Amino acid sequence: MTDISRRAVLGVVGVGAVAGLTASWPRLTGSDIPGRGTDALNVAILGTSQDAASRAGLVQAFNAKFPHIPVRILAIQGADWSDFFAKILTMVAAGTPPDVVVVATEGAQLFADRLAAPLDDYVTKDAEAMSDYFSDVHPALIESFMYKGHLFQLPIDFNAANMYFNLGTLSKAGLELPSSTWTVDDFLSTARAMKKSSGGGPFVSYYWTNRLWGGVVPWLYINNTSFLTEEKSPGGDWLWNRFYAGDPAAKGRSGGYLWEHSNALAAPVEESFDVLRTIVREGLGTSPAQGGGNQLVAQFAGGSIGMTPAGGYWVEGLSEAGMAGKEYDVQFFPKMQSQKAQFGSSGYAIMKTSKRKDDAWEWVKFCVSREGMKLAFPTPNTTPTRRSMCNEALFGAKGPAHWKVFYDTLDTLPSAPIPAPPQQAAVETALIKNVSGAVTAGSRSAMQSNLRALDRDLTQALKIQA
Amino acid sequence: MTTVTKTPQATEPASASRDTAARTRRSERRLALVFLIPTVGGLALFTFIPIVGSLVLAFFKWDVISSPKFVGLSNFIDIVADGTVRRSFLNTILFVVTTVILQLSVALGLAALVQSKLPGWLRSIFRSVFFFPLILSAASVSIMMSYLFNQQFGLVNWLLGHIGIPAVPWLNSGPGAIVMVILVYVWQNFGFSFLLFLGGLASIPREVYEAAAIDGASGWRQFSRITLPLVSPTILVASVMAIIASLQIFDQPYVLTRGGPGDSTRTAVMVIYESAFQQLQFGRASAIGLVLTVLIMLVTAVQFRLSRRFVFYS
Amino acid sequence: MTTNTLVAQQRSKRPLSARLASTSKIVFLAIAALFTLGPVVWTILTSLQPPTESLGATPSLIPKDLSFESYKAVFQQVDMVLLIVNSALVTLLCAVGQMITAAMAGYVFAKIEFRGRGLLFGLVLATMMVPMQVTIVPVFMLIRGMGLSDTLLALILPAIPTAFGTFLMRQYFLGLPDELGEAAAIDGAGPWRTFFSVYAPLATPGLAIVGILAFNYHWNEFFRPLIMLISEKNYTLPLGLVTLQGNKGTGSVATILAGVVISMIPALFVFIFGQRTLREGLTAGSHR
Repeated sequence: MTDISRRAVLGVVGVGAVAGLTASWPRLTGSDIPGRGTDALNVAILGTSQDAASRAGLVQAFNAKFPHIPVRILAIQGADWSDFFAKILTMVAAGTPPDVVVVATEGAQLFADRLAAPLDDYVTKDAEAMSDYFSDVHPALIESFMYKGHLFQLPIDFNAANMYFNLGTLSKAGLELPSSTWTVDDFLSTARAMKKSSGGGPFVSYYWTNRLWGGVVPWLYINNTSFLTEEKSPGGDWLWNRFYAGDPAAKGRSGGYLWEHSNALAAPVEESFDVLRTIVREGLGTSPAQGGGNQLVAQFAGGSIGMTPAGGYWVEGLSEAGMAGKEYDVQFFPKMQSQKAQFGSSGYAIMKTSKRKDDAWEWVKFCVSREGMKLAFPTPNTTPTRRSMCNEALFGAKGPAHWKVFYDTLDTLPSAPIPAPPQQAAVETALIKNVSGAVTAGSRSAMQSNLRALDRDLTQALKIQA
Repeated sequence: MTTVTKTPQATEPASASRDTAARTRRSERRLALVFLIPTVGGLALFTFIPIVGSLVLAFFKWDVISSPKFVGLSNFIDIVADGTVRRSFLNTILFVVTTVILQLSVALGLAALVQSKLPGWLRSIFRSVFFFPLILSAASVSIMMSYLFNQQFGLVNWLLGHIGIPAVPWLNSGPGAIVMVILVYVWQNFGFSFLLFLGGLASIPREVYEAAAIDGASGWRQFSRITLPLVSPTILVASVMAIIASLQIFDQPYVLTRGGPGDSTRTAVMVIYESAFQQLQFGRASAIGLVLTVLIMLVTAVQFRLSRRFVFYS
Repeated sequence: MTTNTLVAQQRSKRPLSARLASTSKIVFLAIAALFTLGPVVWTILTSLQPPTESLGATPSLIPKDLSFESYKAVFQQVDMVLLIVNSALVTLLCAVGQMITAAMAGYVFAKIEFRGRGLLFGLVLATMMVPMQVTIVPVFMLIRGMGLSDTLLALILPAIPTAFGTFLMRQYFLGLPDELGEAAAIDGAGPWRTFFSVYAPLATPGLAIVGILAFNYHWNEFFRPLIMLISEKNYTLPLGLVTLQGNKGTGSVATILAGVVISMIPALFVFIFGQRTLREGLTAGSHR
């Protein structure tokens, strides 16, 4: 009897298990993910599924024009770009590479070198639509996506490293927003004044994160140097002559940057590191934090941070944290030998392996059109590459008084992308791991030995055949 | 298995029972086969074949995009020459030694205290508390610790500030980050050894202690003369498990520091992950994995050797 | 007066030094408990602050005003429900799968004799020596070959055969007397019935240990999901939480910690209901 009832129970459990398994099968195999396995144009972006959803309008508008090209946005989460590239590479390894990938400067040359298809023929063929785009976009951004004479991406957004000021902290120190031509000495005295007037409590005048974008690089660039040698490849005239013929800013543009050797032992590099060492030694800034710096918004809004490098992308984050545009402001980075600005950009790259390159091009083209870009960036969480879109409508309501600084950085200062050769992951690791040591070094000679280690690690990293 | 097959189709009186025996035996073998297939077949597919795969792959250069290329020993030569890989193995060994010693001593000390004379309700509270961190995920723990130990804004440095200690760069300096990873790891994992020791201690008869107390031995003497030797088999088991687990440390340094600053908290498994899935150097990743496996086997062998000399079996 | 006599009585029972020792013992244990639970309590308290206030200018132990805003925010920022469903599916199927396969294999290794049993069991145990991280690349390729890349099954299938679980269950079955099976055989039960009606029901406590260990391991697992899962829709909780620490400086501490607290809840149930089983089972296992 007990045996029968136990069998009954077991039977019910068994049936339940089978039913449960059947019900969850789509989840287990991922077949419930919309568009998975269907024949669509797969577009990978860095972001959350919310970011993917926010592009629904973009996809819809695209499909109104191209109803025969179904598009699937794959949101790939990651704390930073290297996380994202790791996931894309994993997709390649898994045999399911996407057709189109949003690639930032950090990975531009890696993709150009191994994974992306050149856009040259498409650009030439669609010259008319392209002229409208190029006339609205600063050539520095285009050049940053050229590699060995070929164009691999059309930039859609960028962020230059500007200095954000908490105006409350600034006025407490009895100061006003510095002029656009301020110097490193001005920076140091501002930081000292902020620190002095801060009173007790946790406070840093200058907060920075140890990474490629906005780490040591802006400090190197304003001293007209870099931790890698910067050369340019020939070529690219097909583009410059055709689309930027009359633009003085396009004079001397090349076929793309080449960062092939370590430059860590150059004297100007040491000068820049000396500035950072001063900042750390005097307690004006943090020894750099690792990682994405996700606590930054609350700290800056709460007045625990006086200055920090950021780009147009930060406006939305600060606004969400409840910080009004009039409570902070932006300015260029200070001057040293020069005031050369660093920026990072991103754009869609078409994968070499894609079987739908023509469709992919339509997508890329649509995304850089006025209509596409307006749909892609409804909020100021980045800086659009079209000059005409960095406007009152985007930044006026939520942004700081001097929001024009974001695009003026390109228009009025010399600029260059963050140095990201094809071996970017290894290079960034080598950089990050030696920077903390160098800027916290107790003596100049200790710092120099850290720079020698950096030089060695960079040389090793660049040797990796990407 | 072949013993039963010889049974002849005889007409002896015993044949009926022998027949059933043979049937039972056959049925038993069928059961063994069916019951073993999921585990043995599964382990063959998902462990043995991959081990062989790793062994082979270690001698190739392969980035998935192009076809694999045989390169002989060059992956091994490369990783020996690579400072980052060398450092990651040294870090791993440092983590293993420190976390295992800390974990076992904290666990044994607390277990001895909890198991000694205590009111019952207190004992069960403490028992639960020390076991608690074990059930959390290493990722969650690392996230919360990274906020607690934040240099500028974390609670720990704020509290230290009140007793006059300047902000410690827990995650932003090499030594600080190493200490962090060790602390976070031990905090989360000592509960496992603690559980094992509770069992080990419970098996020591109370009379042994009472006899010792009559002889005038107390406190530390009791611990070192009675507890330690009698609990030594458990120490062996706990240390083997702790060492094998900590040789694979990944989650904590990945979430806390991504291996930084510098290479100061990069571990062997992190380098495997980075080589394979950030640089698509699968051959190199396999080579590093093989070295780690050999290390684990060596450590285990040495431990069992040593245990013959030092472990007291009653 | 009365107090005096009380003290005197107590004194007569235990010497001062012993009482001091036992008090200091409790104080010491209490401090250790504080260090163990402190971070968790802080996490819960911080998660109860509004997203914008957490980790403000001065760290505080007690939130000024309690709110569940951060919990609302975490559900808005990521698909928490989906993360929980994914984690639950993976954990449940891994645990149940391990219980079933470990019970079957453990039983065979304990109770059925055949040639080469020792060798086969030795091989099974040997697989424990090779860490899963070492074989992850070939496993990844295997999963790709099976067409299961970026699915939850990629996490579940390779986790179902378990050497450790088999070992535990074998120990457990060894502890059950052979006479039970012999008696069943005399009653005419075949090997299958002997297993299903006699041994399997008795093995429930052992199965519980295998299940709880599997639950704890896979609910908290990070390394394999990090590699095997690509789509956000397939993410499990730990992976989702780590990536919740958003890109380029957005995301609030309280929100992330709210996610951490939510992820603790199921583990807490295991803690409450499984603690005893686990403690007794593990200590028994390490002794046999």
